[in-house]
Amino acid sequence: MWWQKGREDDLERELRADLELEAAEREEQGLTPEEARRAAGRALGNVTRVKEEVRESWGWARWEAVLQDLRYAGRTLGKSKGFALTAGITLALAIGASTAVFTVVDSVILRPLNYQQSGQLVVAWERIQVLGGGGATGPNPRHADVWTKRATAFSGLALVRQVGGGLALGGGHPQLVGTVMATPNLLDVLQVQPLLGRGFEPDNGVAGKDAVAILTYPLWQSRFQGDSKVIGRTVRLSDIPRQIIGVLPASFHFPNGNALRSFRSKQATSNAPEPGILIPAVIDLNAYGWNGDYGNWVAIARLHPGVSIGQAEAQLNTIQDGILRDMPANERDPRFHALSASVQPMQEVVVGDSETGLWLLLAAVLGLLLLACLNLANAQLGRTLSRQREAAVRSALGAARWRLVWNSLAESLLLASAGAGAGVVLAIAALDLFRIAAPIDLPRLAEVHLNAGVLFFSAGLTVAAVLVSGILPALHLGRIDPQASLQQGTNRSAGQRQSRSLRGWLIGLQVFGCTVLLLVTGLFSKSLLFLLHQDKGFETAQVAVAAVDLARNNYREAPARVAFDDAVLRNLRALPGVQSAGLVSVMPLEGESWIEGLQRVDQPEHESIINLRWVSPGYFETMRETLVAGRFFEERDRNLASAVLSESVAKALWPTGSPIGGQVRTEGRTFTVIGVVGDSRTTSLKTVPPRMAYLHYKDRPPFATFFFVRGRQPADALIADVRQAIWKDAPDITIARTKTLDAQLNDSLARERFQTSVLIIFGMAALLLAMLGIYGVLSYSTATRKQEIGVRMALGATRATIYGLTFREAAKPVGAGLAAGSAASLLAARLIEKLLYGTRAVDLPVLFLVAALFLAAAVTAAFLPARRAASVDPMEVLRAE
Amino acid sequence: MEQDSDRIELLQGTLDMLILRTLQFGPAHGHQIAKHIQRTTDDLLQVEHGSLYPALHRLERKRWISAKWEPAGKDLRREFKYYRLTAAGKKQLVTEESNWKRMTQAIARIMWPAEES
Repeated sequence: MWWQKGREDDLERELRADLELEAAEREEQGLTPEEARRAAGRALGNVTRVKEEVRESWGWARWEAVLQDLRYAGRTLGKSKGFALTAGITLALAIGASTAVFTVVDSVILRPLNYQQSGQLVVAWERIQVLGGGGATGPNPRHADVWTKRATAFSGLALVRQVGGGLALGGGHPQLVGTVMATPNLLDVLQVQPLLGRGFEPDNGVAGKDAVAILTYPLWQSRFQGDSKVIGRTVRLSDIPRQIIGVLPASFHFPNGNALRSFRSKQATSNAPEPGILIPAVIDLNAYGWNGDYGNWVAIARLHPGVSIGQAEAQLNTIQDGILRDMPANERDPRFHALSASVQPMQEVVVGDSETGLWLLLAAVLGLLLLACLNLANAQLGRTLSRQREAAVRSALGAARWRLVWNSLAESLLLASAGAGAGVVLAIAALDLFRIAAPIDLPRLAEVHLNAGVLFFSAGLTVAAVLVSGILPALHLGRIDPQASLQQGTNRSAGQRQSRSLRGWLIGLQVFGCTVLLLVTGLFSKSLLFLLHQDKGFETAQVAVAAVDLARNNYREAPARVAFDDAVLRNLRALPGVQSAGLVSVMPLEGESWIEGLQRVDQPEHESIINLRWVSPGYFETMRETLVAGRFFEERDRNLASAVLSESVAKALWPTGSPIGGQVRTEGRTFTVIGVVGDSRTTSLKTVPPRMAYLHYKDRPPFATFFFVRGRQPADALIADVRQAIWKDAPDITIARTKTLDAQLNDSLARERFQTSVLIIFGMAALLLAMLGIYGVLSYSTATRKQEIGVRMALGATRATIYGLTFREAAKPVGAGLAAGSAASLLAARLIEKLLYGTRAVDLPVLFLVAALFLAAAVTAAFLPARRAASVDPMEVLRAE
Repeated sequence: MEQDSDRIELLQGTLDMLILRTLQFGPAHGHQIAKHIQRTTDDLLQVEHGSLYPALHRLERKRWISAKWEPAGKDLRREFKYYRLTAAGKKQLVTEESNWKRMTQAIARIMWPAEES
């Protein structure tokens, strides 16, 4: 080492000086220079030993031994490149995958939210007994106002909602940008200081003074090129001019509309954009009643230091009782039993139910690492046996026991370190890939990146890998009895029976892990197939969808919106190749929304909670939904107050008799039922079909409108035409997104598809590892048993018998592992049952399939070694004895 | 070069003490220290280089002596590694000296027991 070299040179110099002096003295005594030098040398003694003694006094001896062994291990690995390469790649893949997954788990679940003292940030929900059980929902603004005034547990409370806005800079069509609309105190509650400019003033919450906006850092960089003079510029957001007053720092991450939903539904909005711009919310309390308007806002609050969530919740509940008591009599709802509140840590809300899936992923990947290490251990064990002789010689020459163990462990350390290094590089690449391919509803995706904690985790994994794969062979060598080993021939090393059983155990463990993984994968695949192939009630092929945001500025009045809708529908129907077109107020497969009560007018006790949708004629035909009774919307329904109910609602309200012609009441208005549509899973594939009620769009033309077009060709071809048709009469309309309905279907199952594909990849990798393991062990075994096979064959065993011999050797561990794995996975399946659809934990067909797959793989892996064993020439073997 | 069979084997600790004492007289390099000990004891103690240099480096590591390469010799062209006593070394020497005296007194009492007075 370089620091040693200096000292070594110094010592050399010192000793040489001494030598010269000695020689000079002897010369003076009368010897010739030559003799003098030799005499001096003899007087100094053994130079090497002197140097060694000095070195020992430096205390480097132990370190040198360690390094020397490492170098030696490196050379040995270099000689068996095949082993080194496969082992290195296996470890690199396993450690890389584990690191990548752990990064995600850490960034999404474990790391606290990126705000000052984020532990104090909470979300406050209202709980209303009437709407679908006791579900938590965002508060009514009036209630939230009371909370702000009376809840001393909070140091601040802000209301937030997320919308998509069209941002227009100069010419061109507006582009969609994630907009966070919040009460002006949001940044104070979050304790975030703007990077440039300023935050909101309380004034900005007043109508007329709210035409301001704050940019997030990514938006500032991408759309404004990081221009420092951006403060004061005006932009048009959803057709409203706003002045930019500030820019947020790069470290600011606000959860997108998926992660922070005001309504706890199981479905996520596809393509919820990352928040790009912040605008103040003008909440005019006079526009809201005391009852209703729930679920539109999310209440984020900061607890006072020292106040617990339990205390805050208790306080809110007391306040809620007060609100219920003081509610004006005319607004009170007799169906209300109680109005309560709950408080949740903000991090919990944001992370939500992605937690289980991610932990599952981490477990799977760590299992894979374990399998890789077991494989490695097995391979090492094989190599160890052939190095027993070397270890015996070392031991006989006086090597300390730790030295022998370290010798063997050094190889594992080198492999693991190299593997870890390559693994981290792979992890970085995988994370980049992950960001593109990740399920769209994964919260905090923007915050996923490598950090010190993850690198520590990686290092820890490396150490674990070293220990698991190297410790057994190393300890084995440490216990070597030199005499016994040296006396035997290399082919019949001592302890072979013991090591064979050890290898059998390792194989068994591998099979066990692999079986569990494959079974879980099988269950997930079955669940996904079930979701995809169940009867939906509508058809998605060849349908294109365009989501449009009608800005409140130009389209404030309903007639303007109706005119726009009419024009677009006319244009769409005029497109070549279009069979039908329609519009709806909510994107399908994005959960339930617009939840209202619906009653029969003549028998008000018959009522139901329904999802309300505004549609145009042609919608049901485009979606190919089934007509059960009556008719769908036609042009004449524009001026009639007509309603179409879904089958389950119709049955609930009219248990006997036909609903057609009956009157229903919702949102304070009365409608006539003209038709009944079959139940369909239009809100989510993962739940029961929802209760729906449809009205003509003229009744309340929506601001966010979704146009559907069914064509004769594949839907992708239609999309460009659809955009043109929309912009034809209104070029400054924001088209939020366009996609095919098939794509929407796939996206709604994104999480399940992701989980399943990852599991399949891991399952296949595990299977490959197990096969390699079996192959390796059997190969080694046949190689060492050559003599035994030769003798057996000489004594009359046939090739078939030898085949059987080899297969039987593998059969025991494989069989045991398979059985144990099946049992364990039945237990594991219970844990993941809630992630499965239409599949129970105990699924015999899947079990049999997995077992069959594994047996086939095991037989394939065992085949080559078996053949090699059977083709041993007994004469040749016996002669070599 | 007579093999001096009278050479007394020096214990490691004792050699350390002798080196420190030698250096108390002034800085010296390894060869000089060995020669000094040899001369002063009339060849009775001949320090083997195999013991001297490890001892010197050990003392240096314990910071009782410090080392520096300095030019010396007839025409200041050659350099030698000179060792000096440090302040800590001086203290250590005092300690070892008193230990040595106590030990020799104890041994003397056993070998030549004096009348108790």
